[in-house]
Amino acid sequence: MSRANKSLTKYKIVFLGEQGVGKTSLITRFMYDTFDDHYQATIGIDFLSKTMYLDDKTIRLQLWDTAGQERFRSLIPSYIRDSRVAIVVYDITKKKSFEYIDKWIEDVKTERGSENVILCIVGNKSDLSDERQVTTEEGEAKAKELGATIFMETSTKAGHNVKNLFKKIAKSLPEFQNSDSTPLDDNNESNTANNKAQVIDISSTENENQGNCQC
Amino acid sequence: MREGDMQGYVEPSAIRMKVSKSFDDDSSLSKNNSNVTSGDFDSGVGMNTRKNQVASQNITMNNPIYSMKAKFGIRSPSVPNFQDSLYSGNNNSTPILNNSRRFDPGINKNESNNMDTRKYWKENADVDSAKETPIDNNKTHDDPAMSVIDLYNDDDGYSRNNRSSMGHQLEDYHLESDDEEDEDSENNHESSEMLAAVSNAEFLPKSITLNRKELNTEHCDRYGFKKKNNYVSEETYNAWWEDYSGYCIRRKHKWLLLLQKSGLPVHNDIPVRFPPHSEKLKRYVRKGIPAEWRGNAWWYFARGQEKLNKNKDVYSNLLLKMGNLEDETQKGKIQDLDVIERDLNRTFPDNIHFQKEAFSTKEPVMIKSLRRVLVAFSLYNTKIGYCQSMNFLAGLLLLFMDEEKTFWMLVIITSRYLPGVHNVNLEGVNIDQGVLLLCIREYLPELWTEIESSYNGYTKNTPNNSANSKNLFLLKLPPITLCTASWFMSCFIGVLPIETTLRIWDCMFYEDSHFLFKASLAIFKICEPDLLKGKPSHRSFSQYSLTNTKQHRSNACQDDYDMQMFQVIQTFPKTIIDPNDIFEKVIFKRRLQLNRLDQNEIDKCRKYVAVQRQKHKNYDDIIGKLGNTSPFDEKSDEQNLHGGKFIDNSINILGKDLKMTSEMVNEALSSEVYDFKRGFSGVNWNNSIKERVKHMRKKK
Repeated sequence: MSRANKSLTKYKIVFLGEQGVGKTSLITRFMYDTFDDHYQATIGIDFLSKTMYLDDKTIRLQLWDTAGQERFRSLIPSYIRDSRVAIVVYDITKKKSFEYIDKWIEDVKTERGSENVILCIVGNKSDLSDERQVTTEEGEAKAKELGATIFMETSTKAGHNVKNLFKKIAKSLPEFQNSDSTPLDDNNESNTANNKAQVIDISSTENENQGNCQC
Repeated sequence: MREGDMQGYVEPSAIRMKVSKSFDDDSSLSKNNSNVTSGDFDSGVGMNTRKNQVASQNITMNNPIYSMKAKFGIRSPSVPNFQDSLYSGNNNSTPILNNSRRFDPGINKNESNNMDTRKYWKENADVDSAKETPIDNNKTHDDPAMSVIDLYNDDDGYSRNNRSSMGHQLEDYHLESDDEEDEDSENNHESSEMLAAVSNAEFLPKSITLNRKELNTEHCDRYGFKKKNNYVSEETYNAWWEDYSGYCIRRKHKWLLLLQKSGLPVHNDIPVRFPPHSEKLKRYVRKGIPAEWRGNAWWYFARGQEKLNKNKDVYSNLLLKMGNLEDETQKGKIQDLDVIERDLNRTFPDNIHFQKEAFSTKEPVMIKSLRRVLVAFSLYNTKIGYCQSMNFLAGLLLLFMDEEKTFWMLVIITSRYLPGVHNVNLEGVNIDQGVLLLCIREYLPELWTEIESSYNGYTKNTPNNSANSKNLFLLKLPPITLCTASWFMSCFIGVLPIETTLRIWDCMFYEDSHFLFKASLAIFKICEPDLLKGKPSHRSFSQYSLTNTKQHRSNACQDDYDMQMFQVIQTFPKTIIDPNDIFEKVIFKRRLQLNRLDQNEIDKCRKYVAVQRQKHKNYDDIIGKLGNTSPFDEKSDEQNLHGGKFIDNSINILGKDLKMTSEMVNEALSSEVYDFKRGFSGVNWNNSIKERVKHMRKKK
């Protein structure tokens, strides 16, 4: 992993979606592989960064966790602006949160245009199948309609599909698509105490059901 | 006897007051959910028979009527009795700290603070003679108290000895040296010993009745929050607390002496009134209000009673309305209800008072109260409705005061201290961020350089920015402000460790909202070294040619630094476990310029930023309509926070922008009429503005 010492390509990922759908939980599962029943509501924005190994390559992901309430939408656009990946999350047990993703995607497209961004739609809480209000098919259809790159159902509680999701996201990054990618210059590899970047190797993903993907 | 039911808007369990104050009757908790249990005191009983009863102390203390009266200085003859019992003593204002926390931390037995019984409070308040009984402060150290202390001492070994053995005392005293009459700290040794012991009992609750809950309160602080989090280990916490609890005890002692001197009564250890504002009291507040007094003190300093008196039936009516909503299943129509509901369990999930009891599906009392307060608020102030972060404000208040007071404090916070911050468009928070940026520019110039250059990088791709003034950052706020926005929205809850947050709250209620800015600057000040540490190296020799630097600096390099900066701003505050890091190192340093910041300045700044933002928006609108790209005036942007230059600037711009309506001009002017404490004297300023207005009118 000599690469890690030289330069890391950084990708900004912003998490959007209605409050309580599991954005923080998704990030926590990915970062620390843990789950709590209740996370404190996110106010404003939280930032985390994580280094990821995949196929012998290392990238740095910057994860931006946002507040979900509608009125916070006015604050968020600036964070969407230069993010490479937008993950719009809904709760499969709440129809409303599903309907709401249109608005978020609209925001993303306004800020980024539809080509520049890898758009993911994630239906979370798939463990609560009894309370399901949005079918996988509806989710897929919506993803197609909105031109999302990735659609997946996850359960942060059960840890289902979370690694898959990030693996899939990583795979659709230019870094992994052609060798042509020009990583940004990085003279200032920050290894400060505050930079709690973690390294995980997700090459060996758990054997879990592959989500539905429409690339 | 269950009048509460008549009102129909509270579920049965909420009607009953859980009157189980003594050590042995916590079993009542399981019963009082659905029945008026024998043996336990039902609120109805307490209320109905109250007048005839020289009630047992338990009843009186758990009766909200009494609570209210005690708080408002209305006392019935039987009340002074409860002074004899430490157990029941502190119920009124700090339900958690003094009752449930101490004796049964899991449950707020003062169920729901009994908003449903408001009616009775009022009625009885009218009936009762407001007899003031002389209070003997010494009663606070009565024998019952001591016995409790002994229990505690045996338990946790954190005895009064601890206090005198603390090596940090000397060190701390310099912080406390403000008290010119400080002889007390040494001379009244005996009473302070006693106080220390009393306070230890309160500060270090290790109740013998904890067994009801499977929770291990060892891992919780005195408010029920988990000591450990991602940023502070339990060991760190305990080590710090050992010192800080001693500090709290000494501060409380001083407070008691201060109140005694001012001739103010301290009921059962809890004062209801406080001395008038003074420099001395300000220092006392800055050094921390005793935790168990906070409910009363905040209420007093924020003039909550005034508000409540003017709006006597409002809260109960709102609850009625809320009850009706539930009946008619209109819930769905009000969007806020759903939003509130989803945040209830996401409010302090690490606090035992907000958690379900083990093996129970019953909703915690706190959550119920929180729901009522938030829903009532959203019905009361439709402009705000419910905004995330208010759940934390209300949640924290509920730990210190009853439901109705919490409601009014929330009203006060959202209107007086944080105007517009929680409005639907969050404009208030944007304004406050603008103000904070101006403050940083003024008081922390080095840091500002970094923020500005990162900002310039950030906006370089946005169209039109070159034409706009440097004040663009007030309109399009730099990225770090979404991090600092939450500082204001939740008044530092979740941003700083709890004790630190509470110290800031003390000052906020006493000194008004400028303290939030002062605290923010203080935080920036102490993390400034960290923030500046990783700045890109070639910055240093290009301080005077920023524009060039921007071009030379690589994106990635800047980006890295920005991220690092963001992370420091996000993480660092969470590690400021010792409030005195902020207070001692920054707030009490008179030489630091930022301590000149006062409320006038902030009010002025807020108006200035509001006008600027409005102006920018109007400008943008006009530009949008005309397709005009003429540059915006930026002539006088080099000004600082002092003097009347802000106004100069805004008036200049207003004068030049002929598109501005006279309304706008008026608004801008009326919004700027403030006295200046520094730089310009009031007279000068008025003259200068007069001239400018004249000048402007001529132009027109």
